[in-house]
Amino acid sequence: MVALTDSEIYLTTNAAARAEKALKEFGSGDTSVVALDHVTMSVEAERFTAIMGPSGSGKSTLLHCLAGLEPLTGGSMYIGDTDLVSLSDSELTVLRRDRIGFVFQTFNLVPTMTAERNITLQLRLGRHPIDRAWFDTVVDELGLRDRLHHRPSELSGGQQQRVAVARALINRPDIIFADEPTGNLDSSSGQEVLGFLRQAVDNFGQTVVMVTHDPGAAAHADRVIFLVDGRIVHDLDGPNVDSILGQLRRLEA
Amino acid sequence: MIRITLENLLARRFRLISTAISVLIGVAFLAGTFVLTDTLGATFDDLFAEVNEGIDVEIRSAEEITTEFGVPVRGRIDEAILDDVLAAPGVEAAAGAVFGYAQFVDPDGSPMGNPGQGAPTYGFSWTDVDELNPTNLVDGRSPAGPDEVVIDAMTANDGPFAVGDTVTILLEGPPQRFEIVGVAKFGRADSPLGASMAIFDLDTAQQVLAEPGMFDAIDIVAADGVTADDLRDTLAAVVPDGVEAITGDQLTEEGQNAVGDALSFFNTFMLIFAAVALFVASFIIYNTFSILVVQRTKEMALLRALGAHRHQILGAILLEAVIVGIVASVLGLVAGIGVASLLKGLLAALGMAIPSGPVVFASRTIWVSLLVGVGVTAIAALAPSRRASTVAPMAAIREVEVDESGRSTIRMFAGLALLATGLAVLMWGLFGDPPDTLAAIGGGVVFVFLAVAALGPIAALPFSQVVGRPLARWRGVPGELAQENAMRNPKRTSTTAAALMIGVGLVASISIFAESAKASINKIIDDAFIGDLVIDSGSFGFGGLSPELAADLNELPEVDAASGVRIGFAEIDGEPQTIYGVDPPTMLSIVDVGISEGDVGDLHSAELAVHDDYAAEQGWEIGDTVDIAFAQTGVRPLTVTVLYTKSELTGNFFMGNEAFEANYPDVFDFQVFVRRSADFTSEQARTAVEAAAADYANAEVQDLEQYKQTQADQINQLLGLIYALLALAILIALIGIANTLALSILERTHELGLLRAVGMTRRQLRTAVRWESVLIALLGTSLGAGVGLFFGWAMVRALRDDGFTELQIPISQLVIVLVVAVAAGVLAATQPARRAANLDILKAIGTE
Repeated sequence: MVALTDSEIYLTTNAAARAEKALKEFGSGDTSVVALDHVTMSVEAERFTAIMGPSGSGKSTLLHCLAGLEPLTGGSMYIGDTDLVSLSDSELTVLRRDRIGFVFQTFNLVPTMTAERNITLQLRLGRHPIDRAWFDTVVDELGLRDRLHHRPSELSGGQQQRVAVARALINRPDIIFADEPTGNLDSSSGQEVLGFLRQAVDNFGQTVVMVTHDPGAAAHADRVIFLVDGRIVHDLDGPNVDSILGQLRRLEA
Repeated sequence: MIRITLENLLARRFRLISTAISVLIGVAFLAGTFVLTDTLGATFDDLFAEVNEGIDVEIRSAEEITTEFGVPVRGRIDEAILDDVLAAPGVEAAAGAVFGYAQFVDPDGSPMGNPGQGAPTYGFSWTDVDELNPTNLVDGRSPAGPDEVVIDAMTANDGPFAVGDTVTILLEGPPQRFEIVGVAKFGRADSPLGASMAIFDLDTAQQVLAEPGMFDAIDIVAADGVTADDLRDTLAAVVPDGVEAITGDQLTEEGQNAVGDALSFFNTFMLIFAAVALFVASFIIYNTFSILVVQRTKEMALLRALGAHRHQILGAILLEAVIVGIVASVLGLVAGIGVASLLKGLLAALGMAIPSGPVVFASRTIWVSLLVGVGVTAIAALAPSRRASTVAPMAAIREVEVDESGRSTIRMFAGLALLATGLAVLMWGLFGDPPDTLAAIGGGVVFVFLAVAALGPIAALPFSQVVGRPLARWRGVPGELAQENAMRNPKRTSTTAAALMIGVGLVASISIFAESAKASINKIIDDAFIGDLVIDSGSFGFGGLSPELAADLNELPEVDAASGVRIGFAEIDGEPQTIYGVDPPTMLSIVDVGISEGDVGDLHSAELAVHDDYAAEQGWEIGDTVDIAFAQTGVRPLTVTVLYTKSELTGNFFMGNEAFEANYPDVFDFQVFVRRSADFTSEQARTAVEAAAADYANAEVQDLEQYKQTQADQINQLLGLIYALLALAILIALIGIANTLALSILERTHELGLLRAVGMTRRQLRTAVRWESVLIALLGTSLGAGVGLFFGWAMVRALRDDGFTELQIPISQLVIVLVVAVAAGVLAATQPARRAANLDILKAIGTE
């Protein structure tokens, strides 16, 4: 198995996010573990990118670093033209609030808030006005109209993830990061959520980056990046389940 | 199960630390009170033993009356008895003894010591019988003649004075100057527990401290081979009627018992605050264990599924509580020694100087502290433990949501029933006549607090809407979160708030009580006092101003009238009473006592003026003859000739000076009231009065405003002590708030992580935690202020007949309490807020 060199990776000029020689080590000295080994890549705007790899490959770390949740040990990371490395914690927080959408595997919603207030959470945190027309569009698109005044405990798992997707869409972020968004759902709810992420790209021109270990989920993406031991080992454009499975088999071989 | 309990305790020790601290504080206070009173008791016991060491038998007046302060006063005996005593068989040596008020004036002209509040300032007679003399000369010689004095080593140091110096001493007569001929120690100590001693020869002592021809006591040393008991019996047959003989051991025991009684009052006073602290702590314990049980539902369910019985779960949690209780109580006991010295310092700072002695750590202190500390912890943890034991083996594990269980109808009715009971008992205690007033009031207060705590969750919702809504608008999402989180578990919030409510409620009610007292006193002074100046001696019942001062003032052209006010103690129907002595015509031109019947001109040597309420209570009327028991003169029939309506400045009884002097051998004015002549300005009159009073170092000349301020200061001083003690309860409550927040934040780790991930700044998160804390604090303060207002009102109303005519609500003080509570809420949130803000976002999201 040979890692691709930098020049072999397609660097788009239309990048929503970029990593340049991103290095992430956990711990220090002899016990340190390299989670990202000088990764260089970019996320194309208005496309749906999936990141795959075996556990411990660094795929979640890559997503966390891209999203400004985890600082790098070395290298650079950009959201648009903003260099994340140069930002303070509170600047990073504001960046996440105003320019990034999140869909996590679990614990996506604040339990004391209704669905509506969970959806508008990021806007309200920034005290930004809520675009009512856009809100209605998103809510209707996700079929949440009659669930707006329910608390998370009154919603099914699929509904909760739809609320999370709505929250990710509502402030029209530069990128939506989805971390195993279907990991806790039954397959039909999972399909539904993936469909909405796809729609977000196709109908609303959003950029989505999703970490998953499920080839079926990754097949919804426009592009799949494969990570092993903190390095990008393959970049698959226009994937389907077969090509993904084939690539995974090759990685395991 | 014991193993599991221990492992749990170790694993979660940090979560239990604040519980332990709240128990620790309460126990430390309890133990500190015991240590302090035991230490004081032992110190005084030693003192009495030392004073009476060489006395085998004492002869003294059998006439004794108790005073309202609990200290008995006794008459004097004729010095001629000494001859009979010396002639009796078995007497080795005997000497007359005299003591009384004598206060030194330092070289700067200020009085030394504070007999009104601190250790007494005594004058004694010198005796050459070594066995009977508890002092040891360390310099100079014994006093001889009318101009010589021996002083204690403490005063010599403080003065400073040396042998050969001249010192001014305040006495019953005008102040006099004496030559210091010796310096003495009391046993090995510089002075007897901080009291000053002026020692004169016997004749001089009779002259300046007591009365010529009289002794306070005759002390006797038995001859070899004669026991004290035998000698006492011999002498009892020799002395005349009205005079008694007791052994030195009896004398010591008597003194020790009297101090014991006084200390037990002090002990009760302090223990009330320890009880308040532990009461507040019990809320914290209850809350902590409730939260821990919820957090451990999964673990309980697992244990149940694996076959643990309910009683095993119950036992395990209770055992946990007991261990926490034991650890906290043991630490509290140790801390109690520190608390004892803190309390001592606090009292000293307030002018109540307390002598030092070796610390006494009685076994009673140990077992009571342990029992109470462990008991309170176990009882408070009982309900949460029972709840834990009812967890179903397959209990569903879910995120903690909004808990609605605090608003049940049962709770409401139980709370209201408790409230009604508490109010009834309280009213009975305040307005009725229960067998134990203090217990009824205390019980009522505890019930009311518990009832309000039970009703708290119901009150919490409307409260949060009133306060929380504007907060959400103002602070945005952090404000919303603060409000929602505060209300997400109303029981938890209101239990936490209730702990604060107790302290705030007591502070509020006491400040209302104190303000009303001050306002009432001011009104009395305004209503009754026609004069211009008050000369205050600062003493009450022991020493004071020489009557010469009032006489001198009456000679001044600037003064129209000056009247001294004396106080004497007497027993009426076996009850201790205070009788005032005045010069009636002069007095009444300065003070309006509201004569309702009779003429003060008729107050001669066997007449008495009585407050009309008291007279009505006793069924006395003008012309009735009543029996009054005096220490010196025994039971005397006095005729009621005057009834009056204003009791505030002259109490329930006053008599003319003629009658007063006939029954009290020692006459001091504790205050002198002055009305100036219309021909002079206030300034002129004051200057003249001050000049005349200059020789009396303890005379403080005050105008009406200053006099009111002095009265207010006395109340404020006590108030300061009570606030300082209640601050403890509030401190425990704040620890409780911090604890609840910390535990809640632990529970909300996931959602806090989520909030941070989607863009809540650290500052916003801290704001949310802080405001949640402020909301809890505000809830507690509001409940406390409400309850306190009611208690304050009830107390003042209950005492309306005792002079509490004015009800004063100290709005500004209540506002200060509110502001302080908010600030305290912010303070309590500091650590939890920091912890929340510094959460590792990814770990928080990934937890479990």
